[in-house]
Amino acid sequence: MHETSLAMGLLDSLNQMAEKEKAKKVLKVRVKIGKLSGIVVDSFVFAFNALKEQFPKLAGAELIVEETPILYRCNECGKEFEVETVFFPECPQCGSINLKLLSGEELEVVDAEIEV
Amino acid sequence: MCDVCGCGQHDHSHEHDHFVVSDDTTKRNVEIKKSLLSENERVAQSNREHFDRHGILAINLISSPGSGKTTLLEKTIEALKNELKIGVLEGDIETERDAERVRAKGAAAVQLTTGGACHLEAPLVHKGFHALEKQMDGYPDVLFIENVGNLVCPSSFYLGEHIRVVLISVPEGEDKPAKYPKAFKTSDVFIITKSDLLPYFDFDVEKVKQEALSLNPNLKVFVVSAKTGEGLEDWFNFLREKVSEKKGEKVSGG
Repeated sequence: MHETSLAMGLLDSLNQMAEKEKAKKVLKVRVKIGKLSGIVVDSFVFAFNALKEQFPKLAGAELIVEETPILYRCNECGKEFEVETVFFPECPQCGSINLKLLSGEELEVVDAEIEV
Repeated sequence: MCDVCGCGQHDHSHEHDHFVVSDDTTKRNVEIKKSLLSENERVAQSNREHFDRHGILAINLISSPGSGKTTLLEKTIEALKNELKIGVLEGDIETERDAERVRAKGAAAVQLTTGGACHLEAPLVHKGFHALEKQMDGYPDVLFIENVGNLVCPSSFYLGEHIRVVLISVPEGEDKPAKYPKAFKTSDVFIITKSDLLPYFDFDVEKVKQEALSLNPNLKVFVVSAKTGEGLEDWFNFLREKVSEKKGEKVSGG
């Protein structure tokens, strides 16, 4: 349920950005959400679209979500691999659990397209 | 010169292959590169600096509803109120009940009602802490922030705490670390509560510990019962030690 708070926070910050850049409106915004971030993308998009009407400059904004995979690199053998679950990951090549997380925790606003 | 694109041509029938004319000239891309949580994190960081400046140890308690966060606080206050100044921020969706419970044990407490939100955020903690300062007419040695009962959302919101504690009660079952990994990955301490009920439930303490530690090898684990008092002394000693470490940092840091 915290997707709603995050969507509201995003809209607030976009609105501030639109004021600062003297934009007439915001057309698109791109965000990266990792599969380990704990965000349900569908809920986030739903909340964004439901709340954007409150901001005249954002009412037509399209939200583009890039979901980033959970990617690890093995510190023992160097193998890079993707997994679907957070639990007990181990290297598929050498079985080590000494791993470095390369991606999956992203929660980032990348950029926005505005009309000035 | 053409004032649209500066191409030196007045005949716009030619191909502008180096430039997109028409409506697109009014469009612009703005790089943002900010975390979705950046506003929360900014306020959390300022909370943390405020706590550090006054030598306050801040602890964020996270669990499902009914795991015994408030009961553990009641026992902690009873045991430590004569040696430590204790302040509590109580997060709930509605009601003042938990703040009343801990006040009755002798701690200062401010209730934070989120009005529907399933977690606390840093700005509400900031506001609540200032109210607590007024109530105490000074600063606590240790601040407990009891989050809204929920094992999911609170783990995404840093509040400025030094120590994050996740609690699981025996009746909740031993699969909680596996099902709610983020709460365990982001915590420093794991407390298993209601250990007096172990004879009645299939709850393998060692297995749960191992699962939690495989998610986060740095977790410090306590097994306690507020009913029998089992394990509480270890928890109190841990708090005493951390509070005095924090005081020491303040002294050495000026």
